[in-house]
Amino acid sequence: MHKLSKLTDEEVVELTRTKDKESYAEIIRRYQDKLMRYATYILRDEDKAADVVQESFIKAYVNLNGFNTKKKFSSWIYRIVHNQAINLIEKHKKELPMLENIDFDSGVDIEKEYSKGEIVKMVKRCLGQMPVLYKEPLSLYFLEDKSYIEISDILRIPIGTVGTRINRAKVLMKKYVKKK
Amino acid sequence: MSKKSKLDFETKIISQIKADEIKMKPKWYFILGSLLAFSSLIGLSMGIIFLVNLSLFLIRRNGPFNSGKLQFILSTFPWWVPTIAIGGIVLAIWLLRKYDLSYKKNFPLIILIFVLAVLSAGLLLDRLGLNEYLSRGRMRRYYQQFETQDINKNPVKGIRQNYKQLNNR
Repeated sequence: MHKLSKLTDEEVVELTRTKDKESYAEIIRRYQDKLMRYATYILRDEDKAADVVQESFIKAYVNLNGFNTKKKFSSWIYRIVHNQAINLIEKHKKELPMLENIDFDSGVDIEKEYSKGEIVKMVKRCLGQMPVLYKEPLSLYFLEDKSYIEISDILRIPIGTVGTRINRAKVLMKKYVKKK
Repeated sequence: MSKKSKLDFETKIISQIKADEIKMKPKWYFILGSLLAFSSLIGLSMGIIFLVNLSLFLIRRNGPFNSGKLQFILSTFPWWVPTIAIGGIVLAIWLLRKYDLSYKKNFPLIILIFVLAVLSAGLLLDRLGLNEYLSRGRMRRYYQQFETQDINKNPVKGIRQNYKQLNNR
């Protein structure tokens, strides 16, 4: 157990694939909290999030041989959770409409105006009102501390689009905060 | 999240793994999948190039401006050839989307390059006389289909073509 904790995610995956299936428990331990948090941000429902995360862990295990260990495991598993969550949302069609009448060009830079802690609080308050399109990159960037490249790999969108969506999410967030 | 459900993930999934209720798909399954996707893309591209080349040959042979009657051309042209070519392009784009480059690079540009490449390759093959070569060689019967279609739809043009062919022999 002590040895496992020193290995990287990719090394644990390799070990699970080749020698010890049960070392997958280490992956679960490392990611369950992060993935639960992320799925809850998207779905706004802890029970559904728990189902999505469990399904994702199972799906990841089943497809573990398809994972390329030269890539980042965290992006891969987040991608699986993203897909599962989106499938669930599409099933229930509870997605909030796109806010087309919003002016996104106001050049908001909340990172200069607020501290990191304030932004995190603000994001948590506003996530529920945001469309999934903006909710996901916003939570990954501010709450999960993912880089633009990682977000691009998780959501499978170009890095430029990640930036655009995060900026738009900031604009929306500021508008929500002002309303309150 | 409660500690109970935290524990649940680990115990539930690991017990299922131990009991062999969930199994990893073998490595060959993914290798085969990648190989199939790649060879489908290659095969599809080659098929599209051939159909583009065939469409150009048929347009040239029927001659959109030869008969002077657009309605006649529309009724005699074998539309399934360009239709399958377009369907193939759509399928190829769908396959291309499966690769990482679809979001890491400029995907609309990749599609544009792909479409231009298959169109140019089809045009080049037509210009190099592939159709003439094939219609005289192994695929003679295949090319004769189009001539039979012409004879059925326009007996006068068909007879004229057969007459020309006989003269050439």
